[in-house]
Amino acid sequence: MRGPMLADDATLRRLLAGIARGEADRLAELYDVSSPKLYGLILRIQRDRGLAEDVLQDVYMRIWQAAGSYRPEAGPPLPWLITIARNRAIDSVRRKAEVQGPELDSGEDWVDLLIDPHDEAGAFQDRNALVACLGRLEPSHRDCVVLAYCEGRSREELAARFDRPVNTIKTWLHRALGALKTCLETVS
Amino acid sequence: MSGTRAPDPDDPDLRAAEYVLGTLDAQERAAMEGEAARDPVARARIQAWERRLGPLAMVIPVETPPPHVRAALLRRLPAAGRAELHQIEALRSQLRRWRVAAGGAGLLAAGLALVLTLGPWQRPSDGRYLAVVQGGGTLPALIVRVDTRTGVAMVRPVSAEAPADRSLEVWYVGAQGPRPLGLVGTAASQMRLPAGAAPDGVIAVSVEPPGGSPTGQPTGPVVYTGKLIAD
Repeated sequence: MRGPMLADDATLRRLLAGIARGEADRLAELYDVSSPKLYGLILRIQRDRGLAEDVLQDVYMRIWQAAGSYRPEAGPPLPWLITIARNRAIDSVRRKAEVQGPELDSGEDWVDLLIDPHDEAGAFQDRNALVACLGRLEPSHRDCVVLAYCEGRSREELAARFDRPVNTIKTWLHRALGALKTCLETVS
Repeated sequence: MSGTRAPDPDDPDLRAAEYVLGTLDAQERAAMEGEAARDPVARARIQAWERRLGPLAMVIPVETPPPHVRAALLRRLPAAGRAELHQIEALRSQLRRWRVAAGGAGLLAAGLALVLTLGPWQRPSDGRYLAVVQGGGTLPALIVRVDTRTGVAMVRPVSAEAPADRSLEVWYVGAQGPRPLGLVGTAASQMRLPAGAAPDGVIAVSVEPPGGSPTGQPTGPVVYTGKLIAD
């Protein structure tokens, strides 16, 4: 599962600055260091590989156009890239009218992975706080949050998985998110 | 406390949270994005949730994409290196080709892969020309009306979008190379054509620092182009 090491923040910032000046070579470099991470994220959400590849290409075109709006003082560059990738991937699955296939069990325990020490997690400082606060949630509520975030599951898919009405899932999500916010404010 | 009372489903912070989580439907997502574009408070709520949930993104395993994606991406970009010069050169040679074979289609010159819909070349009538200036989208970016007798170009933005903290500058690219016309504003504006502007030129739009190119030549990527056709 280990892929190439991601570049450090300073490198990513330098590449984004070059892209903002219209330097295509810098975009190619950024692609080389960041596409395994972004493609991994996209593929968990958009499971159709052909569509996931289209999303990946769109993500880098978006980065090409938007690099000038990246503000280093607003935060590190990797989360900025991840946000673009997740948003595009979620857009691509939400645009589809029908619900994705029923195979819901990816077998991954995302929370366990989060607890494992992980090199790249340093990009976000509040990992431990998130682990602690997720641990305090009702397990089914927590699973909804994690499956939605990591795998792009819709409310309808979660309703099918947990055999509950969509409105109940909505309430679970709201409860969980509200509790997470309160917990993160006290822990960190 | 939060576990006993049902949360208010209209709470704007919960909508921002669900936006980041990804559980809003397509319509709700679009509404949230519209709100974020107008309202810095909504934007800040979204960013706060991106930070809170962000550590989860780091646990997802990497996966190397197939090589053809990289190749396709790079084909959509201008030639490596001195991108803007390549673009202008490409526009110029495109212009030369157009002069030979009027009415061609398919321009791959500018910063983005561009698909131009060209009207049939018409005999210049009374000095009035029109350029539908397009990027990759379905809507034209700008409509430029040119009157070569009065030397005035009327530039009407339709869907042109400048990146944050950048200006869009309009260029007339003729045999002498690019000449600045002016900056794209939010409303239609009149711009003066360079002396000797001929109707077989190309209108191009580049991304520039605020206030326009400091050099008098395009310095950023060319994002839209269009050819003048008889009006």
